[in-house]
Amino acid sequence: MRCEDLWLRYARSGPWVLQGISASLGPGEVVVLAGRNGAGKSTLLQVLAGVLTPTRGRVVDRPRRVGWVPEKFPADQPFTTRRYLRHMSAVLGHGSGSVDAWLERLGLSAYADVDLKDLSKGTAQKVGLAQAMIGEPELLVLDEPWEGLDVATRDLVPELVREVAAAGGRTLVSDHRGETAKLPEATVWSLVDGTLAVRETQAADCVVEISVPAHQVAVAVAAWRAQGHNILRVREPERTVQS
Amino acid sequence: MKALAYMRLRAFLRSGRALAPLLCAVALIGIAYGGGAATAGEAYAFTSVVIFPMIAWQTKIILDGEPDVQRRLARVAVGSAGGELAAGLVVAGVAALGAIVIALGLPWIIGGIKPPEHGTLAAQLIAGLWAHLLVVPPAVGIGALSSRALLRNAGWGALALVGGSLLAIVLGLKNSPVPFLAPPLMPAARVTAADPTDFAALLWPTLWGIAWSAVVLAVYARLRRTRA
Repeated sequence: MRCEDLWLRYARSGPWVLQGISASLGPGEVVVLAGRNGAGKSTLLQVLAGVLTPTRGRVVDRPRRVGWVPEKFPADQPFTTRRYLRHMSAVLGHGSGSVDAWLERLGLSAYADVDLKDLSKGTAQKVGLAQAMIGEPELLVLDEPWEGLDVATRDLVPELVREVAAAGGRTLVSDHRGETAKLPEATVWSLVDGTLAVRETQAADCVVEISVPAHQVAVAVAAWRAQGHNILRVREPERTVQS
Repeated sequence: MKALAYMRLRAFLRSGRALAPLLCAVALIGIAYGGGAATAGEAYAFTSVVIFPMIAWQTKIILDGEPDVQRRLARVAVGSAGGELAAGLVVAGVAALGAIVIALGLPWIIGGIKPPEHGTLAAQLIAGLWAHLLVVPPAVGIGALSSRALLRNAGWGALALVGGSLLAIVLGLKNSPVPFLAPPLMPAARVTAADPTDFAALLWPTLWGIAWSAVVLAVYARLRRTRA
C-alpha cells in the first residue's frame, strides 16, 4: 500500500492540511504517526483509511478490509453494545459469531446489553476498538487508541497491533501520550505542518527525564523540539505541604 | 450496503425521530379533510403535495441522525463512499413508502373521500399512488442536499430544506416562468385532481421526475465524494 503526493485541504480557500505526502506501507509493517496537535495526523490517518478523499494525489493498493478506530467513538446511537457490534459485523460482511469473543476479550461482556450512550468514555472507546478488530482488518488505523482506556486494555493495544502484523496486516497508529514506546519495532513517520519525514524505527530511542526550572520550560522544550527530539510530556512540579 | 441500510433503518425507528414529520403530515391532512370530503383524485392530489416536504424532512432526519464519525466508520466498513451514501438513500426511500401508506390511508380513515363523479375508484387510487411515488425521489433528493454531511451548518441545512421544498411547490404552479427547475409534483397533482383516468397525461411528469431526481441525486453523490 502506498500514498502518492497527497494534498488535502478542507475548504477551497482554506490552508493545506497535508502537503505532498508520499510513503509506502508493507505487509506486516507497523507505523507510528508522530506530530504535534494540529499537524494533520488524524487527517492523514483518515485519508489512508479511506474516510477522506485527498484533494490531490491518491492512495494505491489499500487493502480491502480496513479497521479504523476514531479518536473518539460516537456513542450517541440507539443501540446496545452487542447489537451495535452485530450490526457492524454484518456491514463488514461477517457473521456475528466473533462478536461475543471480542466482547469477552476487551472486557465488554458486562456492558453487552447496556445502551451505547450510557457507557463511560473509556468503555465506549473499547467498543470502537472492537468494531475495528471484528472484521479481521488487513489495514488497522488507530487514532489515539489509548485515550481513556484502563491499564489492562492499554496493554492489550500493542498485542492487537502485533496480531494484525503477524497475519500480514498493516497498522498505522497515532499517539501523543508516549504509549507507542511499547511498539519499539514500529517505523516512525513524523508529521510537521502537513509534511512527512520518515524515520527508521523507534527501537533505539531512550526516554530521558530532565528537571528544568518551571520558568524555563517553554524555552527548553522549544529548543529540544528544534533539535529534532520528541517531547513526550511535561510534568507539572509536585507541591509538598510541610506540617 | 444492505446490512448498513438495515442498521440505519433500525436506528431511525428506535430513535423516535420519525414522529415529528409524521405528526405534522397527519395534522395537515386532518385539518384539510376535517370539514368535508373530496374525490380520491382530489384528495390524493393534495396529499401528494403535502407529503413532499414531509419526506424531504424525514430524509434529512435519517441522514443527520447518525453521528458524523459513525457515518465515516460506515464508509470504511462498507469499503466505498458510493455504498455508504446509497444505503442512506435506500433507507430514506423505504421510510418514504411508510409515509405514503399513511397519506393514502388517512383521508379514508377520517371520512375525507367521497365516491368519484367520473372514472372508477380503482383508477383514482392508482393515479393517486403513482402521484405519491413520483414525489419520493425528488423529495429524498432535496432532503439529501440539505443534510449535515453536505452543508455542515444547521442553519444552512434548515434553509435548504425549507427553501427547496417551497421552491418545488411555487415553481411548479401553473403560471411559473421556470417550471422545469422544479420537480413535477404540482403538474402530477393537477393531473390527478382533474382527470385521474388520463394515465397518458402522467407520462410526461414521470419522465420529468426521473430526470430531475437523477440530476439532483448525481449532484448529491458528487458532493458527498469529498464530504465524508
